[in-house]
Amino acid sequence: MFAIITTNLLRRSARTVFTALGIAVGVAMIVALLSFTQGLKETAAGLVHLGGSDLGVFQANVSDPTASILPDSLVGRLAASPDVAQATPLLLIVEGLKQDQSAIVFGADRAGFFTRGLVLIAGRPPLRGAPEVLLGDRLARSLRLPSGGVLSIHGRYYRVAGIYHSGILFEDSGAVLSLAQAQALVGRPGEVTDVVVQLATGARASSAAQRIEHSFPGTQVITDPQQALRAGANGTLISKAVLVIVVIALIVGSISVANTMAMSIMERQGELGLLSTVGWSPLRVASLILGEGIAVSVLGAAGGLLLGVIGGGLLVGALGVSAYVAPSVTAWGLGRGLLVGVAIGVLGGIYPAWRVTRMRPLRALSAARG
Amino acid sequence: MSLATGAEVIVENVSKSFGRISALREVSLRAGPGEAVSIAGRSGSGKTTLLALIGGLEQPDAGQIMIDGRAIWKEPRPAQARREVVGFVFQRHLLLGALSARANVEVPLIGAGVHRSERRRRALSLLEEVGLAGRADHLPSELSGGESQRVAVARALANEPRLLLADEPTGALDSKTSERVLDLLFRLRDQLGMTLVVVSYDTAVSARADCTITLTDGTIDSANVMLSRQ
Repeated sequence: MFAIITTNLLRRSARTVFTALGIAVGVAMIVALLSFTQGLKETAAGLVHLGGSDLGVFQANVSDPTASILPDSLVGRLAASPDVAQATPLLLIVEGLKQDQSAIVFGADRAGFFTRGLVLIAGRPPLRGAPEVLLGDRLARSLRLPSGGVLSIHGRYYRVAGIYHSGILFEDSGAVLSLAQAQALVGRPGEVTDVVVQLATGARASSAAQRIEHSFPGTQVITDPQQALRAGANGTLISKAVLVIVVIALIVGSISVANTMAMSIMERQGELGLLSTVGWSPLRVASLILGEGIAVSVLGAAGGLLLGVIGGGLLVGALGVSAYVAPSVTAWGLGRGLLVGVAIGVLGGIYPAWRVTRMRPLRALSAARG
Repeated sequence: MSLATGAEVIVENVSKSFGRISALREVSLRAGPGEAVSIAGRSGSGKTTLLALIGGLEQPDAGQIMIDGRAIWKEPRPAQARREVVGFVFQRHLLLGALSARANVEVPLIGAGVHRSERRRRALSLLEEVGLAGRADHLPSELSGGESQRVAVARALANEPRLLLADEPTGALDSKTSERVLDLLFRLRDQLGMTLVVVSYDTAVSARADCTITLTDGTIDSANVMLSRQ
């Protein structure tokens, strides 16, 4: 049976290749978006755990966590909460660097645990009040900017006092200014984006989050990356886009396979009638057709997985977010792509296979004889 | 190849219509085990329809067809019943073009769920039987018309049928090749003891058959039933 399936697909190689290619494009889009989403999730984990925090407090109901606005007076009140060991404010400046639009500039309290957690690998800490900035090692490498160099943020020039490494992609791909300088730079005195929190010993993130949200109305506490993705409009949109593309791929791919297989059975009526004549059961003949549909889909899916892995990188590059989103290909992401491919084959093969079971051998043979 | 016992074929008052076209009307015939029956008649007289009905490819509108007491078309699994009893040879060999001669002979055995090694062994043995052992790995496009038809005969014999139905098996062949194919069919009938029903307008077939019936407009011309051999 397998040999017959292979032979049938090979003898109509152009049709097989084009059908498989169509499926490959659909599967590639799914895999690319899944790897992008996974990358975003990992990035979101970095956003949630900035500076080694356990949770982040953001403004409630914002389209994107980076667009959150909170008063910096909240920090003291949060720090006084029994669940909280340390709290430090952050002001995130996005698209502040002309040279790298995806890099984030963090306005951070010099005494806070966020700044204290940065490991200087070159240079020195910025001087108090001086127009100086710390640069993440990834950003320093990409901009080829050593300590002592000059960095322009929103048109203002800052000397690079030192280069740091934190191990968190977001931070290492960005720069750190003092909170006061950052607030002055963007004209938002007294405002911060979020407050990152380290919990007191024994405090549980979920229950602490509930208490904080209850005590500080208008805030939302993000404790895990999934939550961050849900809170952010981008993450939600991408998740929905993946779902829509999966459905579109299934529909278009299935129609494509059904069309190919229907054409194939019309052309091969004589052959299929013959199989029935020589004693193949309708189920076995249908299995042959279904098998061919699945084989062409798996072929397409395999190509799609490869294209998807390449496409994930291209997508990140095209969106200009390569600095803080690295596409992450997981076995489950690939597995889902493959599952979609197989599902396309099964769905697309069902109708032609059913038609074959309804085929009357004599009619089929007569059609073949012309 | 094992010696099979021929099947008894009984066709009683069978009628068949396709839409408003009446293909057969109250046709009856009987073929004893191991007998060779030739069905003659003009194009459109219902020969192929009768053969398809005997082989269980279609069901009659009226009357009954029994092969060794079984009505194939009434069986819960007609394909399986067909596989167990009947082998078909057609005017055009209908070989699968992408498969070798050996693989074509194996096709009915795949349907029967025969193991791969056994399929291969039986296919090669059958090809040897029809004189094509040396052409086992050739594609149909590399075979002559007569060779292709002999492969089709080998395929029809793959499941060791007790009834061989041949629909104008020499219709697309020249006279010399036709003779060889007929020689093969009747030799195998003699060797294996199966019942043979051949649709053909070729008088050479009638001459070799035990009995010839002639169909005219879907009915048997009773004046034209001939017993060729006693």
